[in-house]
Amino acid sequence: MVRFSEVAMTRAQITLIRSVLLALVLGSWELLPRSGLINPLLLPPLSEVLAMLGKLIGRSDVQEAVAVTASEVVVAFIIAVPFGAAAGIAIAENEYLGEIFKPMLFYAFSIPKSIFLPLFILVFGIGFQQKVAYAAFSTAFVVVMSAAAAVESVRSEHVMVARSYGATQMQVLWRVYVPSMLPILLEALRISMIFNFTGVMIAEMYASRTGVGHLINTWGENFQMPQLLAGVIVLSAVAILFNEGVRALEARCSTWRT
Amino acid sequence: MQHLANLTERRDRTSGHAIEVAHVSHVYAGADGGVPALHDISLSVEAGRFVVIVGPSGCGKTSLLMMMAGLRGQSQGTILCHGKPILEPDPKRVGVIFQEASLFPWLTTFDNIEFPLSLRGVPRSERRRRSQAMLSLVGLEGFGERYPHELSGGMKQRVSIARGLVQDPPVLLMDEPFAALDEQTRMTMGHELLRIWSTASKTVVFVTHSLTEAVYLADEVLVMSARPGRIVDRIEVTLPRPRTYEMMATDVFGRLRERIWQQIRETV
Repeated sequence: MVRFSEVAMTRAQITLIRSVLLALVLGSWELLPRSGLINPLLLPPLSEVLAMLGKLIGRSDVQEAVAVTASEVVVAFIIAVPFGAAAGIAIAENEYLGEIFKPMLFYAFSIPKSIFLPLFILVFGIGFQQKVAYAAFSTAFVVVMSAAAAVESVRSEHVMVARSYGATQMQVLWRVYVPSMLPILLEALRISMIFNFTGVMIAEMYASRTGVGHLINTWGENFQMPQLLAGVIVLSAVAILFNEGVRALEARCSTWRT
Repeated sequence: MQHLANLTERRDRTSGHAIEVAHVSHVYAGADGGVPALHDISLSVEAGRFVVIVGPSGCGKTSLLMMMAGLRGQSQGTILCHGKPILEPDPKRVGVIFQEASLFPWLTTFDNIEFPLSLRGVPRSERRRRSQAMLSLVGLEGFGERYPHELSGGMKQRVSIARGLVQDPPVLLMDEPFAALDEQTRMTMGHELLRIWSTASKTVVFVTHSLTEAVYLADEVLVMSARPGRIVDRIEVTLPRPRTYEMMATDVFGRLRERIWQQIRETV
């Protein structure tokens, strides 16, 4: 009981400290530029950025850019995850495929994917296809590796137990493989979205005529700091929301993992 | 301990061979002709008996057990269970209890015990009724909603035993079920197993590398040689039942244990 209350105390303290830090950061963002300690052209006050954010959301060109980026992110994700997962499961389940492809994948995984961006532009141009192709390419490797790890996390004892009780192949799949793999697969989903989103942003910022990444790049080049920072806030919020949503699901599906 | 009094009588009622292994050999496929693992093994286990197989590590005793369970094939020979060949797992005839952590960590105790029943689509209320009965048999009432990580090593193995018994198969195959437990828990669990065995009247084939455990539990001990595994000795354990911890200090116990040890030492 003593230990419990100690933990509760520190939890409350941690929350308090975090809130204070957040208030400090936001407060300084507002006050430092206003007081002139920081050049307001470089860092406009928070209230000004938020006001700009409100204005931007109403602008049709911004809405269009958001739609383009969102569809690129979704399509790239839909391509990279199933194909990557299938490849990962194949190399984990099949000894020969694993033997042949695993080292290659490790090598490929270690290479920064952005150095291939010029090649993608040469092949796909600078439109929608190029963004999707590049993002899917930069995401697929992490999906393959995670899916392989998920399959390898299935314990052979558990498969044996199920078989000894007369489980069919389908029952082994649904009753042993899926629950064993679920926590790692959800984690993989979360991490691959980080890669995927990053891929789309880099591609849009590098060469593009539309999309949020393109807008951010343009605002930066034109020294439009309120617009740039408003964009950063929105993208951060979207990324954090997705990540935390999957993390909550993960926590619910993996109470048994200790 | 009242139920133990009827034991001899019950064993007389069940007659015939529960398991018959005839000339079983096995060779693991390999580059130069393969590795011989088991060599011409023949044995029979009478219904209702507690038979323990011991042998040095790697002698193939677990492989032999897996073949009896239909989980692994042999290169030569036949295995019969109650007169019919074992070609694939048949949970109605044979229940298997595995080494250490074979419980599904994402299922509660109830759901783990009911797993074999749910595979066959037994209705939920019927499943729960039977898992409740199994829980009280293994002395774990009130732990049905716990997850494996909330249970001690001994409790987990009680759940494994309950899962092995839930379909009421006449034969139980146990593969070093207590190997991961500490010495004290191991002794307690051995004692518990004998209690459960005496109420459930099953044929048990139990694999272990602990000689003390072997003598304490068995009606009969089969000693296997180092690879390729052969049966080198068959020892009738004449100690009366119910077995008690005090018996371990007796001369008879010591001599039986010594004889097994000699056999194993000679073959290695």
